[in-house]
Amino acid sequence: MTAEGGVQYSKIAEIKGPLVVVDDVDNAAFDELVEIETTEGERRLGKVLEVGHGKAIVQVFEGTSGLSIAGTKAKFVGKVMEMPVSKEVLGRVFDGLGRPKDGLPDPIADKFIDINGEPMNPEQREYPKDFIQTGVSVIDGMMTLVRGQKLPIFSGSGMSHNLLAAQIAKQASVVGTDDDFAVVFAAIGVQYSEAEFFRRSLEESGALKRSVLFLNTADDPAIERIITPRVALTVAEYLAFELGMHVLVIMTDMTNYAEALREISAAREEVPGRKGYPGYLYTDLSTIYERAGKLNGRKGSVTQIPILSMPSDDITHPIPDLTGYITEGQIVLGRDLFRQGVYPPINILMSLSRLMKDGIGEGSTREDHSEVANQVYDAYSRAQEVRALAGIVGKAGLTGIDLKYMDVGDVFEKEFLTQATDENRTIEETLAILWKIVSKLPKNEITKIKDKYVDKYYQGD
Amino acid sequence: MTSNLSLEQSIDTVLQKTEKDILLNLKNSSIKSKETLDNSLSTLEGEFDKIISDGNKEADKIGKQIIGSADLEARNKQLMALEEGVNKVFSKALDEITNTARSGDYSNLIKSLLDESTKILGTTEVIVSTNTKDKDLVQSTLSQFPGSELSSELIDCLGGVMIKSKDGTTSFDNTLDARIERLKPLIRKEIASQFGVGN
Repeated sequence: MTAEGGVQYSKIAEIKGPLVVVDDVDNAAFDELVEIETTEGERRLGKVLEVGHGKAIVQVFEGTSGLSIAGTKAKFVGKVMEMPVSKEVLGRVFDGLGRPKDGLPDPIADKFIDINGEPMNPEQREYPKDFIQTGVSVIDGMMTLVRGQKLPIFSGSGMSHNLLAAQIAKQASVVGTDDDFAVVFAAIGVQYSEAEFFRRSLEESGALKRSVLFLNTADDPAIERIITPRVALTVAEYLAFELGMHVLVIMTDMTNYAEALREISAAREEVPGRKGYPGYLYTDLSTIYERAGKLNGRKGSVTQIPILSMPSDDITHPIPDLTGYITEGQIVLGRDLFRQGVYPPINILMSLSRLMKDGIGEGSTREDHSEVANQVYDAYSRAQEVRALAGIVGKAGLTGIDLKYMDVGDVFEKEFLTQATDENRTIEETLAILWKIVSKLPKNEITKIKDKYVDKYYQGD
Repeated sequence: MTSNLSLEQSIDTVLQKTEKDILLNLKNSSIKSKETLDNSLSTLEGEFDKIISDGNKEADKIGKQIIGSADLEARNKQLMALEEGVNKVFSKALDEITNTARSGDYSNLIKSLLDESTKILGTTEVIVSTNTKDKDLVQSTLSQFPGSELSSELIDCLGGVMIKSKDGTTSFDNTLDARIERLKPLIRKEIASQFGVGN
């Protein structure tokens, strides 16, 4: 940082896209907060992207429209962007830059924390293994979320990821502990109606008092989207590691974040990578996703569910592709299921929670959880093959066992996968439905479950 | 007579058989009804349990909604009341600063503000602006800063100075207003702690 913040410069060399180049600058520092003052006296925030040769390149969060080289002033504040944090942020609604949006005053800060966070010492990381109940059967049963995990939802344009995000935010809880649980919700570049939907649904369900909302709407400057996930994660880290809460961070839509990054990269005339995204997209995304985790000797945890919409449902697109390298599994929404009216339209065959095995079983969920989930994966996969076969030879050409698998597929989609948006199922209810599905099969088809569990839970003839 | 007797016997036989059939049917029906009732009892119990459980869930949900909203409303009112208190303290403090006598400690303050500002800009070749009340004090202090001059334009502030390099490219706002603004979050926290919040 500059040793002495607060100097205002009035020599603007260039305004290019979201960037302002300030001339004759001494002592500016990388990432330093800058206050841009327009000729009309309006103030906008920005940060230093590059310094050197007496110039500073400033990225203006609220956009540069209306700025002119003559008359615009840049004040270098002498510190990085900080988020005021305290327990009072719970129940509050902020904009994408962390300013109150609920008509209430600024929270009285307990601390001011650099929004870039501090990297977690890998040595201090604790392996995530405690179950989080989302109340959504397909997630709890088949791709269980654990505290400290980062598990993204890969969706597509127009699909019901926002409904699912709101449902998880309302229902998520930690089971078997009295520890406090909080949800930090970051909406990045969403429509006004979607932002309102998130706010209203948390308010109406009574979940707002344990939540913090950051709403960056589509009509807010794209550049603000770079900041939104960072302020949200700063609050989450404070709640988790200072106050000992288990915090679930839901960020939607990370595609809008990556597009804002591309916009800045293009304005800086950087060499573009795949599909025009900057070559450092992976590194940049990891500075967000790697802020999830648990620390040895600390009570709280930060769990992330980033949601991203895949352009043209393309899972090989750079955003889902690079996200998948960093995160611990993925939940993929299927267009076919969505068209059939199934909610949540999660395609379990493409989805996976890499840490599920450590967060389920005796002492966490139930001793038979892993095996019954595996059996249902297997059966549903077979059901899909049988459906494809039936499309060719017709139902009459199927064997008796094939028909049973078809039945399993139907029951799976209608009774297990399908769930009302306000239906909060316990893990016991979820496991009961999984056993109902398995019980559609004859016992000799059950190959992945130990006999003692079959004897105990199987409901077939 | 004989044919009548035989007819009566036949009728009796038919009647007896019919009676037997009817009784048997009634018995079977009764058994079946009991079976149906017994079977439906478990379904009924299941349905009953489900309705109760759904009802409890719904009640729990509504309970959480009501408590959550009430908690938030109470907390928001508390926040507004606190903010009102903080603002009152703030405006009183600002009034006191405005009415501070421009002598003694205050003249030392102006000197240190000028010192700090010229050091930050790295030159004493500056134009200094201030308000009406501080004008004379600043003018007398400027003799210690060679190359500096007082602007003829007065600014609207509580006190302190605003300096600008003579080429006009850099400036530093060291008015009391700007300093208070920079420290406002910390001052708010300090005032709130006097109300017992944030300790």
